[in-house]
Amino acid sequence: MKKLLLLSITIAITFFACKKEEGCTDPVATNFNSNAEIDDGSCEYTPISTNLTINFTHTVDATNFILGAVGTLPYTNNAGQPYNVKRLWYIISDITLHAEDGTSNLIKDIHFIDASEVSTLSFITNDLEDNNYTSISYTMGLNPTKNISNAYVNEDFHSKMFWPEFIGGGYHYMKLEGNFNDSITFYNTHTGPTNGEDYSFIHTDIITLVTTETTSEAIISINMEINNWYQNPNSITISNNGIMENMPIQMQMKQNGSDVFSTLIN
Amino acid sequence: MFAILYSCKKEEGCTDPVATNFNSDAEIDDGSCNYPAEGCTDSTASNYNPYAILSTNTCEYIGCTDSTADNYNIYAIYDDGSCEFSTTPYIIETPFGFPNMIIPDNNPTTIEGVLLGEKLFHDKILSGDESQSCSSCHQKELGFSDGNRFSAGIDGIIGSRNASTLTNSGWNTSFNWDGSVSSLEEQAFEPVVNPIEMHNTWANVETKLNANGEYLQLFKEAFNINYIDSNHVVMAIAQFERTLVSANSKFDRYIEGNEQLSASELSGYAIFNSEKGDCFHCHGTQLFMDNDFHNNGLDHEPFLDIGLASITNNPADNGKFKTPTLRNIEHTAPYMHDGRFSTLEEVVAHYNSGGIYSSTIDPNMKKVGIGLQLTEQEKADLIAYLKTLTDSDFLEKK
Ligand code: HEC
Ligand code: HEC
Repeated sequence: MKKLLLLSITIAITFFACKKEEGCTDPVATNFNSNAEIDDGSCEYTPISTNLTINFTHTVDATNFILGAVGTLPYTNNAGQPYNVKRLWYIISDITLHAEDGTSNLIKDIHFIDASEVSTLSFITNDLEDNNYTSISYTMGLNPTKNISNAYVNEDFHSKMFWPEFIGGGYHYMKLEGNFNDSITFYNTHTGPTNGEDYSFIHTDIITLVTTETTSEAIISINMEINNWYQNPNSITISNNGIMENMPIQMQMKQNGSDVFSTLIN
Repeated sequence: MFAILYSCKKEEGCTDPVATNFNSDAEIDDGSCNYPAEGCTDSTASNYNPYAILSTNTCEYIGCTDSTADNYNIYAIYDDGSCEFSTTPYIIETPFGFPNMIIPDNNPTTIEGVLLGEKLFHDKILSGDESQSCSSCHQKELGFSDGNRFSAGIDGIIGSRNASTLTNSGWNTSFNWDGSVSSLEEQAFEPVVNPIEMHNTWANVETKLNANGEYLQLFKEAFNINYIDSNHVVMAIAQFERTLVSANSKFDRYIEGNEQLSASELSGYAIFNSEKGDCFHCHGTQLFMDNDFHNNGLDHEPFLDIGLASITNNPADNGKFKTPTLRNIEHTAPYMHDGRFSTLEEVVAHYNSGGIYSSTIDPNMKKVGIGLQLTEQEKADLIAYLKTLTDSDFLEKK
C-alpha cells in the first residue's frame, strides 16, 4: 500500500514535469501566455504602422557633397572644368512604390528639394501599407500633365521654380548653379520644359523592401550623383550662357539623367 | 440728563425709501410703510419697483444707446458701454496667378477695419508733431512710395533707405529691404516711433486717439473696443494695406487677351523672360518678385548697408536685399534700397553692365563682368515692357 502510494506520487510528478504547456511565448504578442513554454505559432500582434522616411542625398563622384564656399572649386566635371555648387533646387514627383502583387502605392505627389534647407531633405509618410515592395519609381521634374503654369501658386516652390510662359511655361525641374573655372564666372544649369517640350523622365530602381505588421520603420534614400548630369552618354561643358532655351542640351541632360539617381534601402 | 434721554429715544416710522410714507428720520421701522400700487414693474429696468402692482410707463433702462449698434436698445437712456457692432467682411479677390494672400486669423479684413485703416494711414495724428502721415512717404500716385532718394522724417532727419512701394504688399512674406519684420501688423508699429520717421510714442498716439470721439466710434465699429490701443491701430492699418492690390496693368490685359502690346513692348517682354535679360529668375511670377533676397551686384565689398545679414548675422547674406515687385515700377523712382538710380534707364544700364562682382552676388547674375550686351533698342524695349506694368486704376483710384 505504501509502495503503491509512492508509485502514484512518482507517476504524478513525472507526468506533471513532462507536460510542457504550449501557447504563444512572445511577450509583445497580444495573446502572450506566460505559462507557455513551447511556442505553438499562435501568437497574434496588434499591427504596428510603418513610418516610411524618404531622404534626399547628393554626391559628386560618390563623395559627400557640400554647397560651395566662396572662391573654392572643389569639383571637376567630365570636361575637366573645376566647379562648385551654390544653389541646388529640384522637384521630384510621383514617388511610387511597386509591390510584388502588382499594386502600386503613391508615396508623394510632388516634393521640392533645396539642398540648403534641411527640412526639404527628407519627408515621412505615416502608415505605409504592408507589402512586399520590389521597385520604386519617381519623376525628375514634373510630367506634362502636372507641369502647368500657375498650377502651384500656393506652394513654396512656385516663385522659386517658375518657368516663363514665353519659353514654354510651367516650372523648372532643376536649378543647379555655381562657379566654374574661376570664382567670378557662373554657370546656371536650369532644366525644364523648353518651348513646352517635355524633358522630365521617370527613374525606376529595383528594391527589396518587405514591410509586415511588425515593421515600424523603413528608410529609403534617393541619391543624386551631380557629376553624372554632365556625362554619359553626353559630355556637357558648362558655360555662363543659360540653357533654358537650348533644346538639344535639355535633351542631353535628360539622357545623362538615366544614371544620376540611385536608391538605397537603409 | 436731557442729552441722554434724547440719545435713547430712536424715532420710529417707515424706513423703506420706496414707500410713499418713507420717513428719512426714522431709525426703527414700525411696519407702517405704505407702497404705491403703481410703478415700474419690469425687473430689467434700472428703476424696477418690486412692490408695484400696476405698471406705469415710467421704467428707465440702461444699455446700448447707439442706433447703429447690433444691440441698440431704443428704451435705453443711459449708455453702459455694451454696444456691439457686427462687421462686414471685405473680400480681397485673388488676381489671376497670385497665391492666396497671407491674412492673420486674428485680423480678418472688414469694411469697417479697412476704412478706419485708410483714415489712419492718411492722418498726421500718428506723428509726433502731427506733420506727417504714412501717406507722406507712401503716396498713392507714386505706387505708395515717395519720389525722394531718402525720406525725411518729422525732424528733417534723412534715412538711408528708399521708401518701399506698398503695391501688393499683402503678398509679401517679409517686409522692409532687409526683411526685418514678417507681417504688416508688426511693420506698422515701427514708423510711428522711428526717430527718423514719425518720431512719436505709442502712449501719446493712444492718448490722442482716445480723446477723439470720431476715432472712438470707428474703433468701436471695427473692433468692438472701448479703449483704443496700439495693437488695434496697426491691425486697421494692415487691413487697409492688404487692399492695395494692383493687377490691372496693360500687361495683365494683354495676358487676358484684351489688349495688344506694341512691337517694342513685346520685344522687352521676350528679353525679360528669356536668358537674354534673365530678369524673371528673381522678378518672376505674376507678383514680379520672388519673396526672396538676392545680391544683384550693386556694390563692391565691404558693403555700406549689409541688408539681410543685419537681420540674420550670416556673412553669406551680406548685401542681399528683398526683391521688390516691378508692378507700377514706372512711378516708384528712385530705385534700389538706397534709391541710387533715378531712372529706369539707369537700372537697365546697371543690369546690362552685368553688375559688380562680390562674394555674395547671386549666381543668376551670370553675366557679371561680361554684361547682357543689349543694344540700345533692346534696352529701350525692356523699359517699354516695364512700363506696361503700370496700373493706372490703382494709382488714380478714389
Ligand atoms: C519718413 C518716411 C516714412 C513714413 C512717414 C512711413 N514710412 Fe513706411 N517706409 C519708409 C521707408 C524708408 C521704408 C523702407 C524701410 C527699410 O527697408 O528699412 C518703408 C517701408 C515700409 C513698408 C515695407 C514694405 C515692404 O514691402 O517691404 C511698409 C509696409 C510701410 N513702410 C508702411 C508704413 C506705414 C503703415 C506707415 C505709417 C504708420 C509708414 N510706412 C510711414 C518710409 C516711411
Ligand atoms: C538675382 C536676382 C535679380 C535679377 C536676375 C534681377 N533683379 Fe532686379 N532686383 C533684384 C533685387 C534683390 C533688387 C533690390 C536690390 C537692392 O535694392 O539692393 C532689384 C531691384 C530692381 C529694380 C528696382 C526696384 C525698386 O523698386 O527700387 C528694378 C527696376 C529691377 N530690379 C529690374 C530688373 C530687371 C529689368 C532685370 C533684368 C534685366 C532684373 N531686375 C534682374 C533682384 C534681381
